[in-house]
Amino acid sequence: MSLSKSSKVKTLGKSSAIFTKTIVQMNDVSASYDSKNYVLKDIKMSIDRGTNYAIVGHSGSGKSTLLRLINGMMNPTSGKILVDYQTPNISDKKFKSFMHKIGYIPQNLGLIKNSTVLENILIGALPRVSGFNSFLKKFSDYEIDNAKKILKQVSLEDKADRKIYMLSGGEKRRVAIARALVQKPEIVLADEIVSELDHVTAREIMDVLAEAQATMKLTSIMVHHDLQLALEYADRVAVIKEGEKVLEIGVEGGRIVDFQSGNYTQREILEMFTNESKE
Amino acid sequence: MNQKNNLIIGLIIAGVVFMSANVDADPRDFVEGLPNIGIMLQEITEVDSSLFVTAFWSMLETIQMAFIGTVVGVTIALPLSLLAARNLNNKFVYVPIRALLAAIRTFPSILWAILFVIIVGLGPFAGVLAIIMYTVGFIAKLQYEAIEAVDIDPMDAVSAIGVSKLQLIRFVVLPESASHLLSQILYIFDYNIRQTSILGLVGAGGIGFYIINYIKFFEYGKAAVFMLVVLATVLIIDWVSVRIRDKYIIKSQRGMQIKA
Repeated sequence: MSLSKSSKVKTLGKSSAIFTKTIVQMNDVSASYDSKNYVLKDIKMSIDRGTNYAIVGHSGSGKSTLLRLINGMMNPTSGKILVDYQTPNISDKKFKSFMHKIGYIPQNLGLIKNSTVLENILIGALPRVSGFNSFLKKFSDYEIDNAKKILKQVSLEDKADRKIYMLSGGEKRRVAIARALVQKPEIVLADEIVSELDHVTAREIMDVLAEAQATMKLTSIMVHHDLQLALEYADRVAVIKEGEKVLEIGVEGGRIVDFQSGNYTQREILEMFTNESKE
Repeated sequence: MNQKNNLIIGLIIAGVVFMSANVDADPRDFVEGLPNIGIMLQEITEVDSSLFVTAFWSMLETIQMAFIGTVVGVTIALPLSLLAARNLNNKFVYVPIRALLAAIRTFPSILWAILFVIIVGLGPFAGVLAIIMYTVGFIAKLQYEAIEAVDIDPMDAVSAIGVSKLQLIRFVVLPESASHLLSQILYIFDYNIRQTSILGLVGAGGIGFYIINYIKFFEYGKAAVFMLVVLATVLIIDWVSVRIRDKYIIKSQRGMQIKA
């Protein structure tokens, strides 16, 4: 297993040292969809501003739920979450006005298939547009320029007027990233954004995200099921197994620098994931 | 085929026989009446071609009535469907709107036409109002169902940006349900032309006025001219809507299938 990081991410690892304030704090957070089965159990997590944080686990381990707790789309059953010193909750007006600072890329991307690429990414600018103008789909020159600039950043500048259903899987992911970046976010949440892609495309997409994170000084929290990919790109990696955090590691220059494990050894954890990637 | 299925089929057949006797639907009457079809067919072939001009103009009136009724009906139906969708509103909004729409749908267009003839008098305007009512009830229901079927993923992803409900409707709900709406508009326009053709029966304008009167006086040949014009129109509209469907709807649905 090679743990070499791309140079882009390395610079980020250094710059993140400037921001030491915690942006996401979870204390004993549990969540469930019904009263009996817990999806997440007593999660403790502290994510610093500017970190490239990865959450790794098998499907059904509760990773996606974790992201939905951070952006307030779901509320915990117990425990406390603070995101930028606020409790995330979409029903809370104050937090709702903060939500555009959180770029969220769900696993199915959530793009509008019959709209164009530009229309899709301008959705990220909606919180800055008045109700009347947005009903007419009228955006200021600044917003359109900014959107086009971000399209260029994700290498889609020549696809602005294409409909989503005409794009490839990799291009759709770039659109979803661009929509999140148009929001001018402080945090980007991405749920298995490269899981269905081939290795080359997956790395291209990860590089786009890593570059955006470095230039825009974002905190990124990404869910993966591929541990190797997480170790390659992230500063910190948390492993979730059956709703519990079993491990958190810090990575620097491709090396594990900090190892906090509960009941599992490093070897056991690695075996858990190498078996899956062989399949 | 097991015994239980046989029993169910037997019961259904028994039910049809029993109910036919109940409502006096006797197939023997049909057999006895068969020669009448021959007489009617023979008279229909004696087409009075001098009436084609009248038929053309009355068909044009019918199409115009259907067009106005469809456009105004859809315009009213769209905001109502947004209010009736369960995924956009709480039940204090959607329950009364749904009840209102169900009440509108209770009447077929011919009953609305009778009602509006009483209110605004004989003529095409009563027919237009009837078509509007029918279109509102029908399109609003189909459209709120389409809105409720809008993919949860984009709704979720865009809600998470913290946008307002109006923005969510404008940027997710409307574009995602637009192809359904177009399909339903084409269908209801086609259907409205056919039902406007019979609104003349109750004096609400259109080509049906002529058809019903010639049939009443057993002038099947003259009625046939009008019915042929209706048939030709429906075929043309059908052909046009197939073209529109191919251009705008099939394409976007194919797009959905290649979802990565």
